Amino acid sequence: MTLDTVVTAEAPEGIELVLRPAGIVARTYAFLIDALIRGTILLIASIALGSMNRLGGALFLILLFLIEWLYPVLFELLPGSATPGKRALGLKVLMDSGLPITPAASLVRNLLRAADFLPVLYGFGAVAMLLRPDFKRIGDLAAGTLVVHTGSTRLHGAIPEAAPRAPARALSTHEQAVIVAWAGRARRLTPARFDELAELALPVVGRSPHDAGQATQRLLGVAQWLVGRR
Amino acid sequence: MTPLQFEARQQARWDELEQALATLDRGRQKKSAAKARAPSAPFDPARLAALYRAACEDLALARSRAYPVHLTARLEELTHRAHQLIYRRSDYGLARLKRLALVDFPQSVRAHWRYMLVAGLVFALPLVLLGLATYFDPGLVLSMHDAETARQFDHMYGPGREPLGRERGADSDWIMFGHYIKNNIGIAFQCFAGGVFVGLGSLFFLAFNGAAAGTVAGYLTARGHGEAFYSFVVTHGAFELIAIVIAGAAGLRLGQALLAPARRSRLEALKLAASEAAVLIYGTIALLLIAAGVEAFWSSARWVSPAVKYGVGGACWVLVVAYLAAQGRPPRKELASHAG
Repeated sequence: MTLDTVVTAEAPEGIELVLRPAGIVARTYAFLIDALIRGTILLIASIALGSMNRLGGALFLILLFLIEWLYPVLFELLPGSATPGKRALGLKVLMDSGLPITPAASLVRNLLRAADFLPVLYGFGAVAMLLRPDFKRIGDLAAGTLVVHTGSTRLHGAIPEAAPRAPARALSTHEQAVIVAWAGRARRLTPARFDELAELALPVVGRSPHDAGQATQRLLGVAQWLVGRR
Repeated sequence: MTPLQFEARQQARWDELEQALATLDRGRQKKSAAKARAPSAPFDPARLAALYRAACEDLALARSRAYPVHLTARLEELTHRAHQLIYRRSDYGLARLKRLALVDFPQSVRAHWRYMLVAGLVFALPLVLLGLATYFDPGLVLSMHDAETARQFDHMYGPGREPLGRERGADSDWIMFGHYIKNNIGIAFQCFAGGVFVGLGSLFFLAFNGAAAGTVAGYLTARGHGEAFYSFVVTHGAFELIAIVIAGAAGLRLGQALLAPARRSRLEALKLAASEAAVLIYGTIALLLIAAGVEAFWSSARWVSPAVKYGVGGACWVLVVAYLAAQGRPPRKELASHAG
């Protein structure tokens, strides 16, 4: 768990909410997609409004202002709390507390883009994101917001069927947790790696040299026993 | 209790919570899509809260007993979703806007009067000093603007053949409206964002824009275009100059939080300052939108005589200052009862 980039927020009920902050690469891709969308909108608008003499010019300038400053604010306040680029990358913006982003926070984090952008090409923003474990840029720091991955890959599933068997010796809580976690990852690990890990736990299932290939099935049995199948 | 027993015992409650969350989500989407009929089968909020607390308890147990990860993962997802729904702030909308305009914004300006004073001085001093200096030595305008721009000012406000600033058609008014929105609100946003560099950015942008405005005013006065210029800027200046000072003050609030965080960590102080400054920024945006409208459609109207413009402009200054100084104060009776 300590290897994962997670940020925890405490709920009033005393439980920890686990949030997975998004790093600079995912956010850069999201930004580029958004830049493409913004550019396309402006291109279409300039063609459409260009034919409308000076009123068109005024609308274009207003649109330019809105897209420059308020495009992210608009999308962050809609359900989903993410610009199209972030949505495409499976990201969204939350408050530090894990709650949906507030209008004030969205405004602050997007106005401070002007500070993140300095000296060139989001230089300060990039440095802040690289230095911090929660990948916040300056705007996020001031607004108290966090860009997180929404859906997380499910690493763990149900434990595969196996004949339950008691472990060869008493196991500590931590050892039990490790074995159950191993069994839960049956569908994500390659069979070879899965077996290899099982070999490490031979002392638990009882070492018997003639059935080395059985280690996986036996350890699965122990896992079943541990979650309560008898 | 083994994980299997635990799961079997609580499963029904988790399913119920999951269903409730799904219904509520669907209800919200429907509401935002077409604000028509009330959400079908309204879910008992008390029941939702009870289910949520139970799920939190289960999650805490599951974690401390090191139950299988797929179990805790499911509970994490459930509690996270429920937490978002239950603690979501929902006081947005027209009532909130009304409160912002009538109470929160002017109150916040008064609460930050020290910042307003500093920002006002940093903006006004270069404006007045460079204005006077340029008046006596018009060549100084070239220190802030290039020669081409200075010629344009001459052209706009001077008695030339086609004064841009005065004789414009309705469609041209519109393009200036767009231009002012893009430019002036952008300047105000910079004055605010610069504050995150311990206030230096705000100070720079305030002084820079003050100097830019001052040199133009001094130059045009010296060239004898004073009346055309001042009657042009007096009305929208009431909104625009004050809004830029407020935005700068909001930036200084951020800088001060970083420099002197008092009994908070710098980060916490910055967050608090930013949430307070957001109210000021809302007001700034509103003032600048008004300014852009006035600038494009009133200030440039040639058929209005300068005397009328001075009158209206003066009234606007009084109104804006009075609004910021007096609006949103609690009634005296209430004050007395608080004191007593």
